[in-house]
Amino acid sequence: MKHTNTSRFKTFMSWVFKLSLVGIVVLAILMAYMDAKVREKFEGKRWALPAKVFARPLELYPGLALQPKYLIQELDQIGYQRVPNVVTPGQYSFNGDEMDVFRRYVKLYDGEEPSARVHMRFSAGTIESLWLDGQPVGLARLEPLLIGGIYPKHNEDRQLIQLEEAPSLLLKTLVAVEDRDYYNHFGISLKGIARAMVVNVQRGGLVQGGSTLTQQLVKNFFLTRERTLVRKATEALMAILVELHYSKDDILETYLNEVYLGQSGRRAIHGFGLASQFYFGKHISRLSPPEIATLVGMVKGPSVYNPKRKPENAKARRNVVLDVMNQHGLISNYEFAVWQKRELDVVQYSQYQRIEYPAFLQLVRRQLRSDYADSDLTSEGLRIYTSLDPIIQRRAEHAMSNRLASLESGYRMPKDSLQGAMVIAGTESGEVEAVVGDRNPRYFGFNRALDANRSIGSLAKPAVYLTALRSPQYNFITPLDDSEIKIAGANGSVWQPQNYDKDSHGIVPLYQAMSRSLNQATARLGLQIGLKNVVQTFHDLGVSRDIPAYPSIVLGAFEMNPFDVAQMYQTIAASGFQTPLKAIRGVTTQDGQLLSRYGYDVKQSIKTEPIYLLQKIMQRVVKEGTARYLNSQFDDSLNLAGKTGTSDSQRDSWFAGFSGDKLAVVWVGRDDNESMPLTGSSGALRVWAETFKGLPLKPLYPLPTENIVEQWVDIEQNAISSEDCDGAVQLPFIQGRLPLQTLNCAQAPTPSTSKSWWSRMFD
Amino acid sequence: MKSVLLVVFIALLAACSTAPYQSLDQEQVRTSDVLDTLPSWYHHNLGLQLNGGNQYPEQQALASLLKQADLEFIRGNFQACQILLERAQRISTREPSVYVRLSYLFWLESNTQSAEQMARRALALVVRDPVAAQEVKRLLLAIQANQY
Repeated sequence: MKHTNTSRFKTFMSWVFKLSLVGIVVLAILMAYMDAKVREKFEGKRWALPAKVFARPLELYPGLALQPKYLIQELDQIGYQRVPNVVTPGQYSFNGDEMDVFRRYVKLYDGEEPSARVHMRFSAGTIESLWLDGQPVGLARLEPLLIGGIYPKHNEDRQLIQLEEAPSLLLKTLVAVEDRDYYNHFGISLKGIARAMVVNVQRGGLVQGGSTLTQQLVKNFFLTRERTLVRKATEALMAILVELHYSKDDILETYLNEVYLGQSGRRAIHGFGLASQFYFGKHISRLSPPEIATLVGMVKGPSVYNPKRKPENAKARRNVVLDVMNQHGLISNYEFAVWQKRELDVVQYSQYQRIEYPAFLQLVRRQLRSDYADSDLTSEGLRIYTSLDPIIQRRAEHAMSNRLASLESGYRMPKDSLQGAMVIAGTESGEVEAVVGDRNPRYFGFNRALDANRSIGSLAKPAVYLTALRSPQYNFITPLDDSEIKIAGANGSVWQPQNYDKDSHGIVPLYQAMSRSLNQATARLGLQIGLKNVVQTFHDLGVSRDIPAYPSIVLGAFEMNPFDVAQMYQTIAASGFQTPLKAIRGVTTQDGQLLSRYGYDVKQSIKTEPIYLLQKIMQRVVKEGTARYLNSQFDDSLNLAGKTGTSDSQRDSWFAGFSGDKLAVVWVGRDDNESMPLTGSSGALRVWAETFKGLPLKPLYPLPTENIVEQWVDIEQNAISSEDCDGAVQLPFIQGRLPLQTLNCAQAPTPSTSKSWWSRMFD
Repeated sequence: MKSVLLVVFIALLAACSTAPYQSLDQEQVRTSDVLDTLPSWYHHNLGLQLNGGNQYPEQQALASLLKQADLEFIRGNFQACQILLERAQRISTREPSVYVRLSYLFWLESNTQSAEQMARRALALVVRDPVAAQEVKRLLLAIQANQY
């Protein structure tokens, strides 16, 4: 019996030994695996740093039309503080017609601007004179607005800091509040665990954790938030490994950069560096003790103690932290008494609490796609300098949402049934200055400016008329037939375009057929000049997609998105010189090394003369045609040009218009492609007008060439006339393409009772 | 050995150079007329004809950027020069001398296609000024003939 017991005991011990051995081997493998994981994370690149995207730096110079209110908006957005007298960088003062801006040092892709005091004097919405550090200058640049980031999928954002940048009070407070044995333990704190257990038993639940800073870091870096024993054990083991390999300072610096400190929309704020900018608009080194207390207090619960969203909670928590600081002798009793009464003083605006521009950012990302991998954009901390103009972008966003709402109420359409998109670019530079992809400009989703392919309707007409004006057979007043037209299709169908007013207008001069957007005359003209030639003109204007040579294309029965339409109209606005629309100027590394630059590029794809005539006609669209609403909204001297567009069954409302310096294409429609009681004129045109109302525009002067002549003509007779003849009007022609007949003024019949309709128009 | 050869080569190049730009510093730029330092071909083909007697445009911002661009040009910093010219273009989109300068710049970088397009852009802007137009046409023809 005894022998049996001894034998069983031996067997048992043998199993224990074997199992222990297996356990030790498994533990060793596990430790080796965790060790590799810890070292890989700590010794590699610890964080993915999102690319930061900047707007254009505002160039200030005497003669620049700039309303002070827009400059103030921009200064507020970039985190400048308004004060009575500027003393330090990041401040500005304004007294009605004089402004002082103490510019911060700024590094751009094309150089740097030192910190300096910029003084401006305004007169009638224009900068009259400019000084830099007391010296009169011709030019000064401000720092650009940070407009967003290109984030990895988890949307983490951070601004890395080094340990020495953090105030020692912050480090001491953090240690005092979160892990008072930090400098004594080896990754886990038995004292801390015991203390937490006592508190938890006293309170009857899990109210306090015993995690050290190292454990918190390990949890954030490698583990999930679940509360299981296995997870806690892994965390403890990894914390010990981290402490074995790295110094306390290194671990603390990593913690300072890793800790999650709140949310800004889709963006997660990580690290004290970004948090101090985001909540207080200042560098971490400049935080005051109460601000330090607020941020350290947030570590316990970034949502519950968020000073912007839950100020009462945050204030109470801050005061608890101030109390701890006082108990540890970090602040005096007097300071504690004073600071616990102080407001939180979080900033309303800061560079880092930015409004993002999702539609524009999407364009930036697409344009970078050919040169950069997605992983570079989301992890290398690149700095992307763009052409976005925040002043124009803001106006465009406001005009879109405001005007769509008023159109819906004015035309009794269901609320939120309309959608819209807009692209604004510099006519010559081709730089995209604003993009709206949704009536809610903060929406990160379907971007109609880039992806909504819709029928362009009459926006196609300039290509048709330009094709005619490129050919020697047509001039400004060539008579066109606007009678009914039927065109047989290949499968027995008949295409019968009609004018918007359902009437026919007989013989009309070429320029009026376009300015009045007559469909019948345009369809007939398109067939006369040849559809292949029209398609070629579209391509010459910068349309890269395939366009089938069907008759209906002359009335825009094919789809384009607003961005591609803007490219087409840029060529027209820039007198036939095509510049690829671009949103990016340059890209640098995190420390400012230039990686790539996207410079000005141009190609003359249309001769200047026919474009000159087309611009003149498009100016008449605004003066007397379908876009004449602009006359009541803008100064005549701007000589704006444009074209309205309405697609079949009024499903799409378009307007493309330009001044001497800005081009904007607006689309309004419904996502379900249902028809609306809107035309290009009553819909998109109104959004365009509201956008530019109050913004400075440069007048448009079409560029004549030596081959352009101004000739007195009689439109009705399609003949050359002279100044003193009845009904004569002076119009532009390309040399050698004048009307063939010359009217003898003395012999011309003089209407006794009534004048022809076109003569009346010029009275 | 290689570095000695490099130093000798640079010294030789410096000795051959006629442009006095080595001594230019910020102070001198402020006090001297940058145009004086330009090579004669640049002087003749750009400043004189387009700006009427070597005058920079009246608009201070534009003049300032063009002066800086010219300085970078003669220093051989073509990228910096181009960036400054693009800034000038944004301020004054129809200033022909910006496009002429860009044309020279691309030409010197052997990008004749862009050089020609910039010259065409300039030509469209000066067409009503016969003297300037003549000069830009000459530039255009020279580029087309690929002569420099």
